Amino acid sequence: MNSRLINAFSRGGVALGVALLAACAGNGEGLDANGQPLVPGGAAPAPLSADFESIQENIFTPICSVCHAGASAPEGLRLDAADSYNLLVGVPSTEVPSLDRVKPGDPTDSYIIQKLQGHAAVGAQMPDGCPTTQPCLSTTTIGFIQQWITNGAPPAAAAAENAPLAVTSIVPDQVESVSAPLPQVMVAFNHELDVSQLATHSAHFEKLAAAAAPAVIDQVPARIAVSSDNLRVLMLWPVQPLSAGHYRLVMDAASSSQISDIAGQQVTLGAPDEFGETVISTFDVGVLP
Amino acid sequence: MNRRSLLAALILTIVALLRASPSAAEPYLAVLEGYKCNVCHVNPTGGGLRNDFGITYAKVLLPAETVDNALDSWTGKLTDRLRIGGDLRADWSRDTAPNSPTTQSFALEQFRIYADLTILPDRLGIYVDEQVAPNGSQNEEAYVRYGSTTDGFYLKGGQFYLPFGWRLQDQTAFVQQVSGINMTTPDKGVELGWEHSAWSAQFDLTNGAANASTGSGYQLVTQVVYTKPIWRVGIAGSSTQSSAGDRHMGALFAGLKTGPIAWLAEGDIIQDDSLERTEAGGLLEADWRLLKGHNLKLTAEYEDPDRAVRNNQQTRYSFVYEYTPLPFLQLRAGYRHYFGIPQNNQQNQQLTFFELHGYF
Repeated sequence: MNSRLINAFSRGGVALGVALLAACAGNGEGLDANGQPLVPGGAAPAPLSADFESIQENIFTPICSVCHAGASAPEGLRLDAADSYNLLVGVPSTEVPSLDRVKPGDPTDSYIIQKLQGHAAVGAQMPDGCPTTQPCLSTTTIGFIQQWITNGAPPAAAAAENAPLAVTSIVPDQVESVSAPLPQVMVAFNHELDVSQLATHSAHFEKLAAAAAPAVIDQVPARIAVSSDNLRVLMLWPVQPLSAGHYRLVMDAASSSQISDIAGQQVTLGAPDEFGETVISTFDVGVLP
Repeated sequence: MNRRSLLAALILTIVALLRASPSAAEPYLAVLEGYKCNVCHVNPTGGGLRNDFGITYAKVLLPAETVDNALDSWTGKLTDRLRIGGDLRADWSRDTAPNSPTTQSFALEQFRIYADLTILPDRLGIYVDEQVAPNGSQNEEAYVRYGSTTDGFYLKGGQFYLPFGWRLQDQTAFVQQVSGINMTTPDKGVELGWEHSAWSAQFDLTNGAANASTGSGYQLVTQVVYTKPIWRVGIAGSSTQSSAGDRHMGALFAGLKTGPIAWLAEGDIIQDDSLERTEAGGLLEADWRLLKGHNLKLTAEYEDPDRAVRNNQQTRYSFVYEYTPLPFLQLRAGYRHYFGIPQNNQQNQQLTFFELHGYF
């Protein structure tokens, strides 16, 4: 009996071996670089290279922004094309605030690399669920991101430097919910800011009562800074932890709500209300799970 | 071989023959020796902490050269009830891909510490597998075990690796990637196991990785393996219920010994409703024990990431030489070549690596 079984296994093994050895990789005909069928008339993305535009097109948009998008983006990190650069480069991570998500020139101390490699001190390896529900990024793919960071993490070459100064994203905003303590509010712009103007600005967080006509029941001053590694991102922190509740971030009436870039262009963060204050962001702070 | 080694080898052989189902550490060793996983490992599904036999095998039978005296007293036991072990892997690797910068680096892949506390001999114990480096501590396995892991039923509760196909050392093997079940993806739940003669069976009920953050859904995994001295066959199935979409998997795997060569084969099929696709993976591995302490590992792998899409298949071929000069020390050198669709550079990468593996 055993010899028959062994023969059967041997034949099966040889057949499987021949099949595997003879198996050819797909020729990729009719597919994009991610192995998905090409949309008729659509252009295939360029092969992955160590520049932000390529990384966005090949990794962040097709893989990461499936979850990291919109008001419910995990950790407030939106990785869609409009937001990703300014929410990554020079911005402290929310899980390990001592590390920037991307620290230009230093991939080892860039939190995104630790998360992609699965070595981060907090949370799961990214992409979430890898390798259970989707493959992890390969060493080579992560190598492109490392190389881009080593090169100084420059923005996309096609960034609209000639466009007027504008706010590209605010996180959190639009009554988003965040877990206490709130790490920071980030206001991202399409140009580098004039940091010398920051001293003239002041802001505070207002806690609002849950009522039809919200009343301010508490105020917490805010610190304002621009990341030294990314002059496109204005960051505001509460000077003390915020308790659970409904909040808005307000630029003080005595402070100009206009922000300038290094070319002198100005943009207004929002329309002043009747008291001359400008509401920058509105959000809810929840309790930690 | 000196008299002490001969005596140890003789004792090992007798112990192995006396056990209901003889067994080792890596799957190919188990196939070569005709052992079940629990012969060398505390964990009946293999991997991690080695038991008395596993330690002796690592000291005497596996390495090219045995070391007298210095290692005689080491059994992994700190006390009658507490056993520890560990694994450290450090490597240098070089990764090249078309139209891409070549990357190379030294890395500490992992340093793990294992511990097993026997509360009631052969009945009740606590097992821990903790990765302590790189970058901080991370718990991989921690469970309470009740019952016999050598003959009869046992029950595990806690966090542990799921049984599904060959538990390979290479966590990047296609069959480990497509199934998502490997030694980096433990899950929380309970496992009912049965070990008897040539049979091993497990039934697991766990959260399911996709449900980690939702608090809903579950995963069922079942595996049955029949082991004979020169061949074995196993079948595994898994079903995950999740709000993100259900996922069903099946695996058929087998091993065969022909002279000094151990053959391992596995085929996986995965239906993933969350991704709306069916995936498939295959593995054929040949391990040729050229000499004591020398192993040549050749693998051919296949993956179809979406069976509804044509021309997207990937293959990978590996050539790995494993040299175990001394007890608890292994040197590995390998080359892997990926073949995929030409427009994806990463699917056509080549990886060269040298690894230093220390364990105890």
